[in-house]
Amino acid sequence: MGREDFHRILDETQQNVLRMGSLVEEAITRAVDALTRSDVKLADDILRGDDYIDDLNVLIETNCLNLLALQQPMASDLRTIAAMLDIIIDLERIGDHACDIAQITKNLANEPQLKPLVDIPLMAAKAREMLRESLDAFSHRDAGMAHAVPQKDDDVDRLYRKVFAELIQFMAKDPKAIGRASNLLLVALYLERIADHSTNICERVVYMVEGVPKKLKRSVIDFDQAIAHSDEIMQTPAPGGEQSSGQGLS
Amino acid sequence: MLLGAALITIVLAVYFTASQPGALRDLVLAAALTLSILLAVFAAPALRPQTQAGHDQAAGSEVTHSGLEGIIDALPVGVMTIGADGRIGVFNAAAAEIFGVQGARAAGRALIEIVRNSELDRRVSASLRNGTTQTTEIVHSGAAERRLLVTTRPLEGGGKNGVVVIVADQTRMRELEAQRREFVSNVSHELRTPLTAVKLMVETLQSGVDETAREQFLRSMADETERMIVLVEDLLDLARLESGKLELRLSEVDVGELCRQAAQAQRPRAQGSQVTLVCSTPDDPLVIAADRDKLFQVVTNLLDNALRHTPPQGTVTVSAVRENGTIAIEVADTGTGIPSSALPHIFERFFVVDPARTRGHSGTGLGLAIVKHIIEAHGGTIVAQSELGAGSAFRCVLPAGLQTGEARL
Repeated sequence: MGREDFHRILDETQQNVLRMGSLVEEAITRAVDALTRSDVKLADDILRGDDYIDDLNVLIETNCLNLLALQQPMASDLRTIAAMLDIIIDLERIGDHACDIAQITKNLANEPQLKPLVDIPLMAAKAREMLRESLDAFSHRDAGMAHAVPQKDDDVDRLYRKVFAELIQFMAKDPKAIGRASNLLLVALYLERIADHSTNICERVVYMVEGVPKKLKRSVIDFDQAIAHSDEIMQTPAPGGEQSSGQGLS
Repeated sequence: MLLGAALITIVLAVYFTASQPGALRDLVLAAALTLSILLAVFAAPALRPQTQAGHDQAAGSEVTHSGLEGIIDALPVGVMTIGADGRIGVFNAAAAEIFGVQGARAAGRALIEIVRNSELDRRVSASLRNGTTQTTEIVHSGAAERRLLVTTRPLEGGGKNGVVVIVADQTRMRELEAQRREFVSNVSHELRTPLTAVKLMVETLQSGVDETAREQFLRSMADETERMIVLVEDLLDLARLESGKLELRLSEVDVGELCRQAAQAQRPRAQGSQVTLVCSTPDDPLVIAADRDKLFQVVTNLLDNALRHTPPQGTVTVSAVRENGTIAIEVADTGTGIPSSALPHIFERFFVVDPARTRGHSGTGLGLAIVKHIIEAHGGTIVAQSELGAGSAFRCVLPAGLQTGEARL
């Protein structure tokens, strides 16, 4: 393998990372759409589509390992390959979370809806925006953008606390709602994790571009606090504004 | 190269012309004609040597001439060329706008690096591989969701020289199609309801009824017929207003006097509904140049709307004031109010907040749309404010400096 082949395969592998990213991005939106509309067919499509994401994951990993073993890349190229090996782990987990949400859609399909979903779709939009921008930062090798994306995690966390508080109230008021509310709680948790995985991707981009590993900002959610102050939290205006109402959390 | 590009563009334009309905077809046709004429008359002889030079210097599908790039940039549909190596050559301004990316970053990059849409990526790869032309509708979720009609067509050489990708944003068209379907459905429903009632009453009368019932049926038939006439007149008014065929006959109008007369005309109805109707206008004349009949229709429609949504013992107030060189007309009520979610839609045709909440039968859902058109034709604005359970207020602000004479809407 000559240097020309090395760069061609490296380019192709980077493009495959972005292909995997676009599939994962779409899977998040479709998963929450399926949940909102109780669309079991769409949920099945998402579950089937995960195989292709996994195949890409294996292809990228194999190409990266081949490049490392056969070409002994250095400096920027080495960091790019290392970053890609990390990024695909995050993307694969995000894809799994989309599948988890699709599975919950199937679980809840025959149950009456707890209430129309408002803040969960908002959380999904915010988490997807973070993922999209983290992949943009990777595509354009833009460390500035990679530093900026994790700031948006606060919005996702705020929404998560609100959803959490509301669902706890549902469960406290009506034990029959516990099953449905627990499933929605998991959906919110997966979306919050997706935002965290996007922050991980940004950290890898910063390392790839600047050559210095950095821990970017991430917040810790105090669940005891969220339960104790659920009334207060529910009054907090949601990020993204008008579409979210004080009573429309999940 | 240049001739090839021109031919491709024209072929594509003809294709779009043949396959697209309505507004988009006209848009693409206009753009294609402009491009063809420009190429034929001005650009082709002058550009050929430079394009050839560019071809010698640059590989593959890259279009180097700024004039041709300028023309492609001005096209109203997204145009991209992807070379055989999968790299972007042309990425025009419309494509950058549609996908929400910076066009300047696109040249020389792989498509997936600029536009992360797996379906688009798959279509382009297939077209490059197989040399086939495909047209498909895809959904692109960027900052907002867009519905896109994407055509991938191989350049000369069956994909070996790359593909051209044409992207037409269908989002607005899909919305308009949905509105049209809703409009036809609403009109049919609004006409069928009174027609069915009249038909049933006629059949009952034909089968023979006593004198009292006959009188009652005839009154009901007259009411239902009147309802249909009002609907048809509203529809015709709206059609004329929207098509610009209605002439606005401007004359000097005392807005205060006009409000008093409109209120007077509605007073019997207000008394019948036990609603207090208050008219608050200054003694001094508030003269502006306006179409008197149309402005009267505005105040009447607003009063009709307010009276319909105000329960007994409520109050409807119409007022007119001069402020900062404008004349403001306000119709306020203490009625049921409008939910905040419905407020942005109340000036849309056939939008009725909740027919079950209205007193008596509901309106046609056209009154406020007509009001908005008339006010805007006068160069004014209308704003609605409302609080659920507390009432609503509609405020029209008209410029006081409009010239008298005749204008066309």
